[in-house]
Amino acid sequence: MSRPLRGIRVIDFSWVGAGSYATKILADLGADVIKIESTKKVDGIRLSPPFAGGESGVNRSGYFADRNTSKRSMLLNLKHAEAVQIALRLIADADIVCNNFSPGVMDRLGLGYDAVSEVNPRIVYLSMSMNGASGPERNARGYGAMMSAITGFHHLSGIPGRIPAGTGTNYPDHIPNPTHAAFALLAALRHSRRTGRGQQIDMAQTEAMLVTLGPEMLAWTVNGDDPAPVGNSADGWVWQDVLPGRADDSWIAVSARTVDEWRALLGALNLPGTLDPQRDRAAIATAVARWDNHELAHELQRVGVPAAPVLSPPEVVDDPQLTHREHWQMLEHPEMGRTLYNGQPFRFARARVQPTSSAPLLGEHTAEICEELLGLGPAEIERLRDTDVLS
Amino acid sequence: MTTRVSDPTGPLQGITVLDIGGEITNYCGRMFAQLGADVVLVEPVTGSSYRRAAPLAASTGDSLRFAYDNSDKRGLGLDIASPGGREVLERLLASADLILDDRTELDLAAHGLPHERLSHLFPGLTTTVVTPFGLQGPYADYVATDATCMAFGGMLWLGGYEDGPPVVAAGRQAYRAGSLFAAVASMAALVADDGAGELIDVSVQECVSLGLENAIQYWDLERHVRRRHGGKQKQAGFGVFPCADGYVFLIAGGIGGNRFWNNFVAWLKDEGVSGAEELERDRWWERGFVESTEGKDLFWEIFTPYSSAQPKAALLEAALRWNVPLSPLKTMSEVHQSPQLQARDFFSTVRIGETEADAPGAPYRFSDSPWRSDRPAPHLGQHTRELLTERGYSLTDIETMLQKKEIA
Repeated sequence: MSRPLRGIRVIDFSWVGAGSYATKILADLGADVIKIESTKKVDGIRLSPPFAGGESGVNRSGYFADRNTSKRSMLLNLKHAEAVQIALRLIADADIVCNNFSPGVMDRLGLGYDAVSEVNPRIVYLSMSMNGASGPERNARGYGAMMSAITGFHHLSGIPGRIPAGTGTNYPDHIPNPTHAAFALLAALRHSRRTGRGQQIDMAQTEAMLVTLGPEMLAWTVNGDDPAPVGNSADGWVWQDVLPGRADDSWIAVSARTVDEWRALLGALNLPGTLDPQRDRAAIATAVARWDNHELAHELQRVGVPAAPVLSPPEVVDDPQLTHREHWQMLEHPEMGRTLYNGQPFRFARARVQPTSSAPLLGEHTAEICEELLGLGPAEIERLRDTDVLS
Repeated sequence: MTTRVSDPTGPLQGITVLDIGGEITNYCGRMFAQLGADVVLVEPVTGSSYRRAAPLAASTGDSLRFAYDNSDKRGLGLDIASPGGREVLERLLASADLILDDRTELDLAAHGLPHERLSHLFPGLTTTVVTPFGLQGPYADYVATDATCMAFGGMLWLGGYEDGPPVVAAGRQAYRAGSLFAAVASMAALVADDGAGELIDVSVQECVSLGLENAIQYWDLERHVRRRHGGKQKQAGFGVFPCADGYVFLIAGGIGGNRFWNNFVAWLKDEGVSGAEELERDRWWERGFVESTEGKDLFWEIFTPYSSAQPKAALLEAALRWNVPLSPLKTMSEVHQSPQLQARDFFSTVRIGETEADAPGAPYRFSDSPWRSDRPAPHLGQHTRELLTERGYSLTDIETMLQKKEIA
C-alpha cells in the first residue's frame, strides 16, 4: 500500500516533546525522518519514565518510544565542524528541517536558516521555540505545563472557587503544537514544490496553543468579560456535568444540550421531569451514583443522551471502539520487546498511515545513512566514529 | 525574521475546500483559509447550528465561537436533500480539491450522497470526514459532545482534582483536536504526488487519546495507573501555588535532574523567607521524600506564606532573575496585555457586527508566503450569488432556487 509522504525526507533536530511528536506524524505518514541525536547530550525523554520492565536505559523509555515511531536515528556530534558539514550534506538532499531549540541555537551550530538555505534553497525550515524568534521573552525556556499557564488555558480549566486544575499533562506538547507544526510544514512543502522556493517558519509554541482559545479571548476583547473557569458545565446548554458512579473513583460525563436531552436523562434515571438543572444537581448525583458508569453511559446513549464513562488508562487500552479502529499498535523493539504505541487518529482508504517501526535505538541507523545517503565506505565511517564525529 | 516576503497569497493558494461541517471541522477549514486556500462554508438553508454556540457577542448576539472558526471563508446555504441543492453541491465539488465533512453513517442514510459516491463521481477529490468515533465500529452512532469525547479518549481521567472530580479542559479541546488532525491528514493527502483523491476517516476519540502523555506506557510497561493531581503538587515544588492576585505555576524541582532547585533555594534565602534553610537539606533530592505528602506539605508551608503576599508580576520578575521556571496563571485579559505577544504583533482583528476586536492571530510565521486574516466569517448566504455565478449559474436560476429555498 502506498504512503502519502513517501519520498519526503526530514532532517530532524527536534527533541523532547512537541517537536518529536510533530515529526512522528510525518514519519507515520511515510516520510523518511532522520532524527539527529548525540550520545553527548541525549534527548531528555530517552531518560524519562516509564521504562520497559521498570528498568531505565536510553533505549527503554516508553515516553520516548511513543514519540518517535517510524524514524531513523543518526549520531552526529554537532560540536564538531565535520559533523555540521555532514548535516549540511544531508540537508542538501532533504525537503524539511525541523528544530525546537531556543532561538539562536541552530545559528550558533552553523545550521541556521541562512546557512541551510545556501545549500538547499528549496528547504522548508521550521523552528518551534516556546515564544518564537522575536520579542522580549524570546529566550524564556519552558515546558508544556508552563505554556498552559501563560496562555490562560490552565486558569480556565478548573472548578470555580478552587485552584485551577489544568489537564494534569503538558497538553500543548501533545496536540496543538505538533499538529500546527506538521500542517505548516506540509503547506510550505507544497509551496516549495510549486515555486522552487523554500522558506523559514517561526512557530511560537505559546501562540500555537493560544489560537485554540480564540472564542475565550474574544469573550474578553468583545464583551469585556474576563472568563472564569466554568468547571464541568457548558455555557449555552441546559446541563452538563461529570459525576461519580457506583464504584470507587469511577466517573461519567453527561451532557444535556437541549430540553429534550434533559428530559430523556431524567427519564433514564427515573427522576421526576420537573427537576431543575441548576437547583437539583444533588438529586441527579444521587441517582447517578447508583449506577455502574459504563452501564449508565450505554443506557443514556440508547435514549439519545451524550454520555461517556471517564476511561482510565487500562480502560482506554481495552475500549471496544478504539480496538475496532486498531488504534493501539503493538510494535516489536530490540530492547523493549513488544510494547504499546499510539497509532495516528485517522484512516486513509487507499494509503497506509500508521507506524511502521518502533522507536529507533540511539544511533541505530548511523552507518546505514552514511552509506546510503552520503556514499561513505566502512573505513571512512570508522574514522568518523574514532574522531568523535559520529557520536 | 529577515527574509523578504515575496508571495503575499499564502502557500495554499489555488486549493479549493468545501467545509460542510460544524464545530468539528470549522477550525480545520479556518487553517486552510488563512494559508491562502479558497474555503467555502456550506450551511443548511436555515444556517449552521454552530451560529448559536456560546460565547455570544453581548451587543449583537452573534456567536464568537462561530465567528472565530469561520473567518476568512466564503459562505452559502443549501439544502442537500433538494434536487437543486444537490446539483449545486455537485457543481461545487467538481471544482474542489478537498471536502471537510462531519456526517456519520447515520446522517448519510438521512441525506444520501455517501462518501464512497463522492469518490466515484470526483476521483481527484479528497474527502475528510471527522466524527466523534469514526465511521465504523460499536460507537459509530453514539451521540457526543466535547466533554464525552474527552471522557472516551481518556484525557478527562488525567485532568482534575486528586480529591475530587475530573475536569473538562477549557476551549473544547477534543473538537479542536479533531480539526487539527484532520488538517494534517488532509494536507498529507493533498501533497501526495499521485494526484488521486483520498477518503480520510478521523475519529475525535482517537485524537484525544494522543493527548495522554505517557499514561498508556506507564500502564503497559510498569502496570502503574496515572491519576489526577490537580490542586495538589505533583511533587514538592512542582505545581500551582497561590499568590496575592491569583496563582503561579512553579517548577522548582523534578525537571532535568533537579537543576533549578539550588537557584530556587538561593532566591528564597535572599528574600529572607522563613524556613528557606530547611530546603537545603539533602532529602529534597530524594525521590521518595519529594513525592511524599510530608515533603509536599512542608514545601507548601515554607513557600506559600511568601508567595501569597507577592503579586504575579513580582514573582515572575524574581523567577527570571534567579533562573527558576515559573509562569503566572494568566487570565485572558492578562494574556491580551502580554508584552511578548504585543511585541510580536500577535493579535489580528476580527469584526463582530460594527465592532472590531483583537483575536489570536498567526500560529506560525512564514517568511515567503504568509498567513493572513482579512475577511470576517460570512453571514448566511453572503456569497451565494458570487459562488454560483462563478460556477456558471444564471441569475435567473439562482433566484428560482432561492425562492424554492433549495439554496440560501
